[in-house]
Amino acid sequence: MKEKPATVFVIDDDEAVRTSLRLLLKSVGLPVETFASAQEFLDQYDEDRAGCLVLDIRMPGISGLELQQHLNDRNSITPIVFITGHGDVPMAVEAMQAGAVDFIQKPFRDQDLIDRINRALEKDGAMRSELRERDEIRRRMSQLTPREREVLDLVTQGKANKVIAGDLNVSQRTVEIHRARVMEKMGAGSLAHLVRMVIEANREL
Amino acid sequence: MFGCSAAEVIGQNVSLLMPEPFRSQHDGYIARFLKTGQANIIDKGRELVAQRRDGSLFQVFLSVGRIAGLEAPRFVGLMQDITDRKRVFEALRRERDRAQAYLDLVEVMLVSLSADGTISLVNRKGCELLGWPEDELIGRNWFETCIPEDVRPGVEAMFKGLIEGTASPVDYAENEIVTRSGRRKLIAWRNVTLRDERGLISGTLSSGEDVTEQRRAMEALSKSELLLREAQAIAGLGNYETRLPAGPTHWSLQMHGILGTSPERGALSLEDFVRRVVHPDDRRRFTAAWHDLVSGKGSLDMEYRIRRPDGSTRHIHTLGRLTRDAEGHALVVGTLLDITERKRAEEDMRQAQDRLTQFGRLSTMGEMAAGLAHEINQPLTAISNYAQALQRLLATPETADDEDIEFALGQISAQALRAGEVIRRLRAFVKDREAHTEVTDAARLAGDLLVFAESDARLNDIRLVNEADEGLPSVACDPVQIQQVVLNLIRNAIDATNEARPARREIRIRTSLDDRGDVEISVEDHGPGISTQVAQNLGNPFFTTKAHGTGLGIAISRSILRAHGGRLAHRPTPGGGATVFFTLPAHAARA
Repeated sequence: MKEKPATVFVIDDDEAVRTSLRLLLKSVGLPVETFASAQEFLDQYDEDRAGCLVLDIRMPGISGLELQQHLNDRNSITPIVFITGHGDVPMAVEAMQAGAVDFIQKPFRDQDLIDRINRALEKDGAMRSELRERDEIRRRMSQLTPREREVLDLVTQGKANKVIAGDLNVSQRTVEIHRARVMEKMGAGSLAHLVRMVIEANREL
Repeated sequence: MFGCSAAEVIGQNVSLLMPEPFRSQHDGYIARFLKTGQANIIDKGRELVAQRRDGSLFQVFLSVGRIAGLEAPRFVGLMQDITDRKRVFEALRRERDRAQAYLDLVEVMLVSLSADGTISLVNRKGCELLGWPEDELIGRNWFETCIPEDVRPGVEAMFKGLIEGTASPVDYAENEIVTRSGRRKLIAWRNVTLRDERGLISGTLSSGEDVTEQRRAMEALSKSELLLREAQAIAGLGNYETRLPAGPTHWSLQMHGILGTSPERGALSLEDFVRRVVHPDDRRRFTAAWHDLVSGKGSLDMEYRIRRPDGSTRHIHTLGRLTRDAEGHALVVGTLLDITERKRAEEDMRQAQDRLTQFGRLSTMGEMAAGLAHEINQPLTAISNYAQALQRLLATPETADDEDIEFALGQISAQALRAGEVIRRLRAFVKDREAHTEVTDAARLAGDLLVFAESDARLNDIRLVNEADEGLPSVACDPVQIQQVVLNLIRNAIDATNEARPARREIRIRTSLDDRGDVEISVEDHGPGISTQVAQNLGNPFFTTKAHGTGLGIAISRSILRAHGGRLAHRPTPGGGATVFFTLPAHAARA
C-alpha cells in the first residue's frame, strides 16, 4: 500500500481562520489542505489517506457535528480535532462522545493546537498500522483450507490434539500436520501468538 | 275786569258775574246763609271762577264780608284776578309732583329728617324697604322707628353732629336699618344737610341704597377670591396682566411665589422680567413668543426656564392671551405654572424608558452573545494564528517564505480592523445613550447591524436574506433603536426556527413601502407561527415563550415604535411561520 504523508485537513467556513491555520501548520512543516465547507471536503475525501481533520464545529450547511456523523457512518478512522467557539461546550461534549480525539476553543495557543494535531496524527498512524496488521492476519487466514480453518478454531479454543482428532474424526497425526500448516501459514511463533492474532482479526476497529 | 262799565252792573244781581251753575245757585247760598248761618265764603275768602261780560271765565279770589249793623243783610265783596298767580302755582305743583315722581321712581330710598330727627319725607322706595306706609312714617322719629337699637346711639350721634355742624357730611356711610317686620338691612347712605332760609341747618336729606345683597355678594366674591388664591397656591398657578406696550402690570401673589419676587415691590416691567427672571438661554425664545403674542400672531403657550433670586432654576409653563380692558387698552392676560416637578417626573420617566430600552438592547445582545463572540473570535483566532506562524517562520529564516511573512503581517492588521469594527458597532449599539432622531435611508436601517444577526443565524444554521425595495424614502428615527427592534425580531425568528426545525431554515428581512406610504420592515420566518393565545399576550411585559426570555423584547419594541409614530404587527407567513413587521412614517420623498 503506497502511503502519502499524513495530512491535516482544515475545514472552516471563515476564510481568515482557514487561511491563518494553513500558514500556521505550514510553518511547523505539516502538510495542510483547507476546505471552506464540509461538502467540499466530502467531495474529495479518500478514507485511505492518512491524516486528521481540524473541523469547525459550527458551519452553515453541513455542520462539523454532521460531518463527523457522516464519516462515522462510513467507518472512517480519520481522527477529528474540533475547533469550537466560546460557549460551545455542550456541542464539544457531543463530539467527544461521537469519537472525536479532542477539541480546542478559539482562539488558541498554536502549540496547543499542534499538540492536539500531533496526537491525532499519531492515533491515525497507530490505527492505520493496526488496521494493516489486521488486514494481514485476515489475508493469511483467508489462505487456510477449510480443514485448516476448523483446526485453527479448535486449537485457539484451547483443545488438545487428541480431543480435536476425536471432534474431527481423524487421526491425531493428521491433526498435528494441519496444526503445523496453520502455524506456518499464519506466521505464528507460538500458540499464544496465534491466539492473539485470531482475537485481533475478529476485533472491530 | 269784567269787561263792562259800572253802569251796566250797578243794580244788577252780583250773580251776573258768575258762570253757571254758580249763577243760578247764588241766591240759594244767600238764603241758606241767612237761614242757617252756614257760610262758605263770608269772612273766609275763596278762589272762584268769574265770568266776564263776553262769557269768558277767569280765576278770582273772592272774599265777602257782611256789613254789620244793618237791618237788611248787606254784603261787600272783594275780588282779585288771580289768573297769573294760579298759573305759577299750577306750574310749581306740577314741578313738585314731577319731583315726587322722580323720587318715587329712583331705586334708592330718600329720607329727609328734621333737626329733631323726625321723618319729614320718605319716598316710595324708602317705604318699600322699611315696610311702612308713607303717612305712618312721616312725623315719626327716624332713629326710634327705623334704626336697630344696638347701632342707634352711634347713628344718632352722627346725625347730631351733622345738625350741630360739628361734623361735615361724609360722602358715604353705611349703617343698618330695621324694617317694620324686624328685618335688618344694610344701607349705604349719602347725606346732605338742609338749611332754612336763614341759612341754619334744619335737617338732612339722605339717599340710601340697599347693599345687603351686594355686600353678601362681595363677601362671597372675596371668599371666592380667597379660594382662587388658595387654589392657585395649591396648583402653583399664578396669573398676570400686562398693559401693552409694556405698561402697568399686575401679578398675583402666587405669581410672585413662583418667581420668588417680592409682592410688595409689585410686578416687574416686561423688560425687567426678561432681563432678570427669564433664563438667559430662553430669553430669545421667550421674546420671540411674546412678540408673536402682542403682534396678534397667536396666543402664548410655551415652556421656558426662569431663574429665581435664590439662584435656583425652575421650569415654567405660561399661557397668554391678547385682550382689551374695559377702556379698550390692549392687555395681555395669562397664567404661569411651575412645571418643574412635572418636568422632573417626565425626565425621570424618559430616563426610565431609556434605561429599559438600553436594558432591552443589552438583553437582545445577550441573546445574540454566541453570534457576537463568534464574530469577534474569528478575527482574533486568525490574528493569533498568523502571529504564531510568523514567530515560527522567523525562527527559521533560512526556510521561511518572504511572501508568507508579508501575507501574515497584512492579515494581522486586516483582522484586527475587522474585530475593531465589530466592537465599534457593538459599542454603538449597547452604549448607554440618549435617544436622538436622525434622517436615515430606510434601506440601510436593517442592513447596518445585520452582521450580528447573520453570525447568530449562521451558528444556528439559518440563512438570513436581506432585501430592500428600490427608491425607498428616508425615515426620521433613532437608527440604533430601530436596529434594536430589527435584531429583536430576527432573534425571535431564529428561536422560532429552532423550535419548529422546518425544512426551510431561512429568515427573510424585507424593507418595503406599504400601501399607506409608510416604510415597512418585516421579518419572515418558517417557524411554528404565532398561536392565538400567544398573540393575545404578545407585547405584555414579562410574557415570554422562551425558557430564558425576559418577555420584554416585544414590549420594548412596541414602545420604541410608538415613540416613532410607527406600529408593530404580525401576519402568518404563506406556507407556515410568522411574519412580524413594523412601519415607520416616511420622512420625505426621495429626491
